[in-house]
Amino acid sequence: MTHNLDFLSDQDIRQIAALVDTLDRSGFDYLQLDVGTIKVTIGKGALPAQAMSTGLSTAGASVPSPTLAVPVAPTLAAAPPSSGGGAVHLTLAESVPSDWLPITATTMGRFYSRPDPNSPPYVQVGTPVGADDTVCLIEVMKLFNAITAGVAGTVMKVCIEDAAVIEFGQVLFYVKR
Amino acid sequence: MPVTRVLVANRGEIAVRIIHACRGLGLQSVLAASQVDLDSLGAELADRTVCIGPSSATQSYLDARLLVQAALSTGCDALHPGYGFLAESAPLAQLCADHGLVFVGPKPHQIAQMGNKIQARLLAAELGLPTLSGSTQVETSTEALAVARRVGLPLMLKAAAGGGGRGMKIVKSEAQMANLFAAASNEARAAFGDGTLYLERYIPNARHVEVQILADQHGQVIHLGERDCSLQRRHQKLVEEAPAPHLSSTLREALCAAAVQLAVGFGYENAGTVEFIVDQDSQTFYFLEMNTRIQVEHPVTEMITGVDLVQEQLRIARGERLRLSQEQVSIRGHAIECRINAEQVRQNFHPSPGQITRWDPPGGPHIRLDSHCHEGYVVPIFYDSMVGKLIVYGFDREEARSRMSRALLQFKIEGIDTTLELQRFLIDHPRFASGDVNTVMVESVLPELLDR
Repeated sequence: MTHNLDFLSDQDIRQIAALVDTLDRSGFDYLQLDVGTIKVTIGKGALPAQAMSTGLSTAGASVPSPTLAVPVAPTLAAAPPSSGGGAVHLTLAESVPSDWLPITATTMGRFYSRPDPNSPPYVQVGTPVGADDTVCLIEVMKLFNAITAGVAGTVMKVCIEDAAVIEFGQVLFYVKR
Repeated sequence: MPVTRVLVANRGEIAVRIIHACRGLGLQSVLAASQVDLDSLGAELADRTVCIGPSSATQSYLDARLLVQAALSTGCDALHPGYGFLAESAPLAQLCADHGLVFVGPKPHQIAQMGNKIQARLLAAELGLPTLSGSTQVETSTEALAVARRVGLPLMLKAAAGGGGRGMKIVKSEAQMANLFAAASNEARAAFGDGTLYLERYIPNARHVEVQILADQHGQVIHLGERDCSLQRRHQKLVEEAPAPHLSSTLREALCAAAVQLAVGFGYENAGTVEFIVDQDSQTFYFLEMNTRIQVEHPVTEMITGVDLVQEQLRIARGERLRLSQEQVSIRGHAIECRINAEQVRQNFHPSPGQITRWDPPGGPHIRLDSHCHEGYVVPIFYDSMVGKLIVYGFDREEARSRMSRALLQFKIEGIDTTLELQRFLIDHPRFASGDVNTVMVESVLPELLDR
């Protein structure tokens, strides 16, 4: 980077400092922000390739990037907790193209991709979906909640395995408009 | 039943308190947290955290199915409900039982028996406890007026599904009845989904004294003395202490015996609190209600008995016998608790959520702070306003009182408004210093602070 920081106001610098602080407490490895003409990538150690290529190099360009719109997705492994203690195990939702939109879990529970074991899944990679289409079921205590896509587009990725337990807010699918 | 991993189905300071108790017993803890609580202190301390829903309590902490699902899918074998939320929900206790989870509390039918305050009054009376004259369910204000003519005024209108002071109104004249009846019934319906009311004689010069009970699954019941919780505002407790000041040993013994009698009488198990009203003028007492959960103010009892009540709850839940006999319970010294709320005292106690920019708790011997807060923590708008409980112990009441006064002065919280100043005013007030407390004291001395 050859830029000096003259173009940043005190306010900008304070905000960046606040971001560093937020990141520090979050458990995320890096954070990428794209506001108007400023793009900021903050992280620890080596940055993932995705961030390197789409982040700093295009400063000044006006590519709308919803990187931060990806909701926080706490992972819930099927294994029992380690007794070693520790906080919420947050992982940054994997890097996906900026025009992929997440469908997130509106409740915690068990994920089912199909209405019953003998039927095909509601959606697979490549399936076109409407905003009101059911994409999966989430079971909470024998009660099955139909989850709708919320956005129209094409399913690009299925993130959860059948019958896995998911937490509220976890990303289930990515859809491309 | 063996217990190895406990789902903590609550938030805030009590979640932290339960996690500490689990650690003390070598049990793992899994915190069920709403989205906004994912970075809370409880989440940091628990062995694991599960996001059960969005910030709104109805879609997270108040959904029994989500809590049980969270417990089952993380391999928990027990669930601790804390206080508030679903702590006294018979359906949650039943759902746990149906899925092989140990509910850390009493049996579902015991919760239900005490949950309906009309039934609880009848049961207590049946078991020989003194209850205030009054009524069972009253359907209309006309019916309530008839009760007023029979029992006499003043009367207290109360919600059958009650708790937290909601749906409670004092009726001083017959002319007030119609309006207050409608107001109380609406309030109760809004708070509990049940507008059923009953009436009880109102005692103007009263103290609120409650007895802590521990009961195991083998029929053993002990009490751990009483607490005085007379300092209340709008039926919300502000200051609690143990033992109760100026309580004659005759009254004390009678209260504690009555509490044990009730618990034995209906086969109660786990920790519980039997609440009484003590009529200061006649030196008599009456059963008010029983809380079938751990209470906010349990630390004052812990300080004067040395018993870890939350650990005892877990031990009882896994089937152990009580470790103490009644004779082994020894009460020593005096303890006081102040609830610190994020509220603007001078703006009619309006909640004051937001980021805490400074959090400097007091230190020194015999000072305990039960809290989930720290510098930088954002007090969310979604839940109650309590940010911590400051508890002190002293050789006697005066030592505890002056220690509390100094501790409150030392406690620095910035970024949000708190009730620290109000608490210091109450603790330093000559009436509190002399032990001359009753349930209307706060109301009567508050103007002295507000007019300053």
